[in-house]
Amino acid sequence: MSAIEFDGVTKVFDDITAVSDLSLRIETGEVFGFLGPNGAGKSTTINMLLDFVRPTTGTVTALGVDAHTDSVAVRRRTGVLPEGFDVYNRLSGRAHIEFAIDSKEADVTPAVILDRVGLTDAADRPAGGYSKGMQQRLALGMALSGDPDLLILDEPASGLDPAGTKAMRDIVRKEADSGTTVFFSSHVLEQVEAVCDRVGIMQAGELIAVDSIDGLRETADVETVVSLTLDTGDVDTAVDMISDIEGVDTVMQSGSQSIQVSCESAAKTTVVTKLDTAGIDVTDFETESASLEDLFLSYTDDNHTVDSATTKRATNRSTDISTGSSETDEGTAEQ
Amino acid sequence: MTWEAVATKEFRDAIRSRWLQGATLVLTILLAGTTGVFFGVILGSEAREISNLFGIFINLGVFNFSFTGLIGLILGFIALSTTYGSITDERASGSIKLLLSLPNDRQDVVIGKFLGRTAVVVASVLIAFIITFMILIATGTSLQLGMFLPHIALTVLLGIVFAAIGLGISAGADSNREATLSAMALYLIFALLWGAVASGIPRILLAATNQVNGLSLSETTQATIALGLSYLNPLRLYETLAAQLYSSPATARLVTASLQQRALLAPQFESSVPPYFSGWALLVVFILWVILPIIVGYSIFERRDL
Repeated sequence: MSAIEFDGVTKVFDDITAVSDLSLRIETGEVFGFLGPNGAGKSTTINMLLDFVRPTTGTVTALGVDAHTDSVAVRRRTGVLPEGFDVYNRLSGRAHIEFAIDSKEADVTPAVILDRVGLTDAADRPAGGYSKGMQQRLALGMALSGDPDLLILDEPASGLDPAGTKAMRDIVRKEADSGTTVFFSSHVLEQVEAVCDRVGIMQAGELIAVDSIDGLRETADVETVVSLTLDTGDVDTAVDMISDIEGVDTVMQSGSQSIQVSCESAAKTTVVTKLDTAGIDVTDFETESASLEDLFLSYTDDNHTVDSATTKRATNRSTDISTGSSETDEGTAEQ
Repeated sequence: MTWEAVATKEFRDAIRSRWLQGATLVLTILLAGTTGVFFGVILGSEAREISNLFGIFINLGVFNFSFTGLIGLILGFIALSTTYGSITDERASGSIKLLLSLPNDRQDVVIGKFLGRTAVVVASVLIAFIITFMILIATGTSLQLGMFLPHIALTVLLGIVFAAIGLGISAGADSNREATLSAMALYLIFALLWGAVASGIPRILLAATNQVNGLSLSETTQATIALGLSYLNPLRLYETLAAQLYSSPATARLVTASLQQRALLAPQFESSVPPYFSGWALLVVFILWVILPIIVGYSIFERRDL
């Protein structure tokens, strides 16, 4: 059964079409990343899922029931971290969690939840005095009360410091591991990359791509640049050899013993293996891989509202050939 | 149904509001202070009866005044201000996203907010009256509970009416600004301008019927319509219903009427008050002021994209 299903959904506000003919199915247990520039229609999509706004045409189904007519049933089994929310300034953190538990008629004590989101010490202070990050964690705590089957996180990393972001990601991973479906919207792209099984890219109200991150990389035709430094063997031979590999676009000698290869992501390992079998030792191996940012830009090319920050190219460096093709977080964590 | 959760949250939130705490203090000082001055200083011990303060309605035709009316004005303002922002504020700040992400439907929100906020207003009224009671006992005033307790009940009901009106405005308004302006305008109309509306409409009717078929409304009919319209104002309802606790229905019905209305209607009322002007009928109108604003506000809120 799908956890979430949008079927031909369009939402028009006055003259503006916020979401146009959206059809999307998210399977139970999946972690789905929802990407797009501001104003792309992500929030409207989530708001329709929560019955904050109603579709002009089309239907939204969540957890097997209609998201409009049976919204309460959906929300009883759903934890939501909304975007642009505010806390009740005069109420304590504990009162917030109690309110969530009462509303969900859940069987859990506030202390457990407060501990999970690290707010035990601040529990009895008015939430209006919390930092943005603490408020974000408080809302996450409210979302987690009642052990949801579906977790909807709208821009969950906004206002969080790196440690908070990591804590957030760990909680999402843990929920996902326990079988919770996660629907995760973000423009902080490495977050999506780090936790999501599939990604959807939204632009100007339309879903322009849905695929796994690897799948997107292939489709998007964004090339990986590999820099190699050779220990032994003839550089010219190596260049010829690499040129013959399928998926390799250009090969260039960039130093006396170094080569720069521009290729499809999948061809990276073939390059290394082929040199290895030919007995050419590679001492240094660097990939400047297509990051999600590049992917994102390749899909939303004609959109100029994208943050300049997201155009930074992420570089992964690795000297370990065997894992050279795998993505690590270090390169992208600088953002 | 999770309106209990919403109501609990609202109560806890509203009771921590400085504004409401201050308002309670003002109401208490007004009620207990005036009582203290009246029964402790002004009136001799033989005149210390509840009805000599709460049952006095001065009507000079162009101007009428009563302590009860003053309580109504102030409590109406407090109750309205406790609720008129309760939904629009949450929409403006974004906390409504937390509220509605939880399994509360919009009906739970409206009912829960109404009950939670009303409870705070009622608590505020009761605190003021409890202190007043202490002063009454200290000054040796005759409590006349048969009149005074229903008077307190009516006062509580007035608080509930204005809380409901405010909540209806908040549910129906599209922004904080719209809610604030509507609440202010409505309060001004009830407090100051209603008389002009109530006497103006019969004149328009008179002119209209003259135009259409040359018929004319009798002066008594005009006065009846004007009086009836004046009792659509909850502040006037409160006064006349309170007055009935201390005097006859006929007197109570004319307690805020103009001299002309009084002259025209008093003879008829003395023999019998028409059923539509009976205390029970007006109590029904009073209670409708609780129900209708909530229903209207909810039906707008329910359909709205947030």
